[in-house]
Amino acid sequence: MRRAVALASILAVLGLVLLVPGTGGVPAVSAATVVKIGVDLPMSGGEAPNGVPTNNGVLLAIDEANKAGGPYTFQEELKDDAVNGVHDPAQGAKNVQELIADRAVVGIVGNFNSNVGKATIPITNAAGIVQISPSQTNPGLTKPEFGALDVRKAHPDQINYFRVCPTDDLQGPVAADFAYQNLRARKVAILDDQETYGKGIADEFEKQFKKRGGTVLSHDGIPKGTQDFHAILTKIKSENPDLLFFGGVTTTGGGLIRKQMPDVGLKIPYEGGDGIVEDEFLKVAGDAAEGSYGTVASVNAEKLPAAQGFIKAYKAKYNQDPGAYSANAYVAAKIIIDAVRAVGPDRAKVRAWVANLKNYKSIIGTFSFDKNGDTTNKVISVYQVKNHKWEWLTQRSFEL
Amino acid sequence: MAAWRALRSIAGAPSRARLGGRVVQRIAPYRSPLLVLLLFLLYPLVDHNAGHVNAAADAAVYVLLALGLNIVVGFAGLLDLGYAAFFAIGSYTYAFAASPFYGLHLPFWPMLLVAAIIAGVFGALLGAPTLRLRGDYLAIVTLGFGEIVPTVFLNLQKYTGGTNGIVGIDQPVLFGYHFGFNPVPYYYTLLGIIMLSVVAVLRLRDSRLGRAWLAVREDEIAAASMGINLTTTKLLAFSFGAFFSGFAGALYVAKLGIVSPDQFNFTVSFTILAMVVLGGMGSVFGVIAGAGILYEFQTLFLTDLTQWSHSLGAALHLPLLTRLNFVNLKFLLYGLGLIALMLLRPEGLFPERRIKAIITERVSEEIPPGDVTEVAGVAGSAPAAEGTPPREYAREE
Amino acid sequence: MNWVLFGQQLINGVSLGAIYAVIALGYTMVYGIIELINFAHGDVYTAGSFVALATLVLLGASGHMAAAALAFALAVTFAVTMLVMGATGIVIERFAYRPLRGKQRLAPLLTAIGVSFSIENLLQLWMGPSPVPFPQIVPNPFFSLGPLTVGQMQLVVIGSSLVMMAALQLFVHRTRLGKAMRATAQDWMAAEIMGIDINKTIALTFFVGSVLAGAAGVITGLFYGNIWFINGFRAGLIAFTAAVLGGIGNTTGAALGGFLIGFIEVMTAQYVGFQWATVAVFSVLILVLIFRPTGLLGQQLPERT
Repeated sequence: MRRAVALASILAVLGLVLLVPGTGGVPAVSAATVVKIGVDLPMSGGEAPNGVPTNNGVLLAIDEANKAGGPYTFQEELKDDAVNGVHDPAQGAKNVQELIADRAVVGIVGNFNSNVGKATIPITNAAGIVQISPSQTNPGLTKPEFGALDVRKAHPDQINYFRVCPTDDLQGPVAADFAYQNLRARKVAILDDQETYGKGIADEFEKQFKKRGGTVLSHDGIPKGTQDFHAILTKIKSENPDLLFFGGVTTTGGGLIRKQMPDVGLKIPYEGGDGIVEDEFLKVAGDAAEGSYGTVASVNAEKLPAAQGFIKAYKAKYNQDPGAYSANAYVAAKIIIDAVRAVGPDRAKVRAWVANLKNYKSIIGTFSFDKNGDTTNKVISVYQVKNHKWEWLTQRSFEL
Repeated sequence: MAAWRALRSIAGAPSRARLGGRVVQRIAPYRSPLLVLLLFLLYPLVDHNAGHVNAAADAAVYVLLALGLNIVVGFAGLLDLGYAAFFAIGSYTYAFAASPFYGLHLPFWPMLLVAAIIAGVFGALLGAPTLRLRGDYLAIVTLGFGEIVPTVFLNLQKYTGGTNGIVGIDQPVLFGYHFGFNPVPYYYTLLGIIMLSVVAVLRLRDSRLGRAWLAVREDEIAAASMGINLTTTKLLAFSFGAFFSGFAGALYVAKLGIVSPDQFNFTVSFTILAMVVLGGMGSVFGVIAGAGILYEFQTLFLTDLTQWSHSLGAALHLPLLTRLNFVNLKFLLYGLGLIALMLLRPEGLFPERRIKAIITERVSEEIPPGDVTEVAGVAGSAPAAEGTPPREYAREE
Repeated sequence: MNWVLFGQQLINGVSLGAIYAVIALGYTMVYGIIELINFAHGDVYTAGSFVALATLVLLGASGHMAAAALAFALAVTFAVTMLVMGATGIVIERFAYRPLRGKQRLAPLLTAIGVSFSIENLLQLWMGPSPVPFPQIVPNPFFSLGPLTVGQMQLVVIGSSLVMMAALQLFVHRTRLGKAMRATAQDWMAAEIMGIDINKTIALTFFVGSVLAGAAGVITGLFYGNIWFINGFRAGLIAFTAAVLGGIGNTTGAALGGFLIGFIEVMTAQYVGFQWATVAVFSVLILVLIFRPTGLLGQQLPERT
């Protein structure tokens, strides 16, 4: 009996704990209306390098908005969708539902990983709340031909999910064209990290490269957590390719592969997507990074004066360079802030405002959202590492 | 044969006349759990935050998983470090059968059972290679399967959707009511299934098979010499354990609408094991509590800690609290929490009475922390004094 | 069949396996003596890399140092890291495992994972969530062995691992302390009666295992040039597998298991497909255990249920 009482009391405490965030919440601090921007990103464990700099972009946008004043005070409501250090679709779904339950939240920035989006978009779509992702590039989230209608079943015509980054089916082919035409590669080897983004971009690269008439000698996936790439690089060397394409990000192998290429005597060009065009890559790959190519699905940010201001402000506040998706997250948050300023903190109006966004001027270029919620920004820049820095090389406009 | 007998013993099939009296008699010792159940039935009526109800429903999924793993680890004493493999198999079974991926849209309720049965079959199949193994050798093989199964789902992209997984999984419909993304009906469905499972597990534990598991757990050689067939007994433990993960998997992916291989990594297996050990191995109500507590601790408490501290700071005008950020410390808090809990209650929060038998018995082989002779003396006498000696062991035909 | 390529991959396999083997030694020693799967061991290895990095930075080591200064810096780094990690091992054993000794078989398994998570988070707080570059102070020229080439760092990895394994064998089989360890592993009660201090012996086992892990951390830091706070998890899992494959509790077996897993990984990458490496490793493990239930070199354990 004592045991049962203990059990009951623990469960009662648990129930109380559960209820606290539901009934509590932040009391209004000042006369200005508090408007919350929900954020769902993977923030802990091995995912922290993805989530933390991205979230910093959102915080920067909110800071600037509050400094500028106005009738609204913006606040961030941050949720972490990593459980035990791995992004978790179920946790993302719960977080988004919690955000929706908070009436002060007008819009959501996130998520980071495409498979989390597949669990959250159906929920935000049903609730009619705007969700803007800085980084999810899987075409299946927006494009009906990739099965996106399964994701927005509730209101297929009321687009609520937008993204400021172009999809893998644009970036992969441009990378393939660049390799085939500019670098004159005819035989390539491909490695990908077996994540939604990395595999997606690598598969699109392979398709386009074959279409051009090139040969794909091999396409391997990297087991999670691999540190030693000597074996696979030795194998690739034996196939004698003209170029090695990597689909993925720096931390899932992009950096270490580049670093270990000289170890096995592999002296061919190395190309990747925007997942490796970041300072992190230069740090990890060290001297070996020199000469690597990377595509980024945006105009050259450094040439936009607005971006310069962002980079400066970011460095001043966080004492480090922005992450690969910091600027995108900044823009995503900024869009929601601008929407609230234009039509007030009403979820339906904010969604409609964002859906009709045309020629929006931002630090990542001027763009609109198309009928699926994708950015119309289809310029893809190619970068190369020169003197330990990613230098803008050329840009290509994508056309199918 | 044994399987059939076990199933019959779950069903129970008492004669109608005695049913009423027997029900009261059987329920009587479970008054407090039933009271707790009532609290849980009322929960969604009190908390209207869909995120919280959803978390509670996911906690319920983990309760089911913990109930299943408890059969393997708690009842039969087989250390399984790869239980997520069966969770994955159950999940994918339903995803294959009811999604646009293969264009199949089979109804949810029969598939729920099919998923559980398929998971159960795989439980026996993957359990077979481990039969000759003891202790931690068995653990590493199960860990191996736990790594292999998700990797196979990841690599066979053509048949499983690979890393993209399967999207747009059908949601359950009950008498024309569509569950949709509202977590409340899932919550109640899960509560119902947990209730049924608890009854089944309790009956299973007290059945001939359940006593055979206990015997195998306590002393394999003695059990075998009593006539217990080790092969079937162990395989049935794996199979019944996996069966529940099939339920859990089908419900989980139907609620979430998506399945992908990275939802079933080692940390999932480990989390379920931690729930079982934390709650008290072998104790059915213990592991339920363990699963609920650990799940809410991980996904709600740690996730919302920052927010609470900010709210508290704002309310109490303590600027320090509003500036704390616990997101960076999540792992540390989880790790330290695990260590502290295990040090305080090594036998779990609500240990099974029978488990004390093995704990004390193990002392005779483990190295005691302090004075040897004293502890050894206790160890020598303890099993006889405290362990409930298994009653009439059935002889396997 | 291209035998040159095979040989080249064999070299890759040996250098990869050597690292697994050294980590596996710590696993197997701890298991042999207290039958605990010490999941935190992989994180002790990663922590070793971090301590080594901090030491190198303190010493101001860089690739431009003179050879003698470099050798000195490396020696100091190894010594400091091994001592710090050894001490960490003792602390972990004292506070997370000893109180549970003999209480419940699975409780220490959970505290081990708790320790693992805690170490990972502490390392993240220390040097940030991203991978940290490790100074490349040892040049990596190539040597030709007939048609094969081998990098200097690969030689360093293989050589230092062999030295550590030999040292461990000498320690376990030729010293009094090693004898005490073996005795405790065989029968702690008899060992205690013979006057061996069990607590000290177990602490020593953790010390030695962690020292080896720390050394492996320094070596991989130098070899891969990058350290990341979550690396230890997978490395630990694979090393544990190696320990079991060789016959857990058996130091020679652990080394053999490590090399075998390195071999399976590289050959899968070469001939099957890299994405199947994990599946291959665990499939071989399961097959081996089906036919040899106590691992390759493991002995039949006495009945002990």
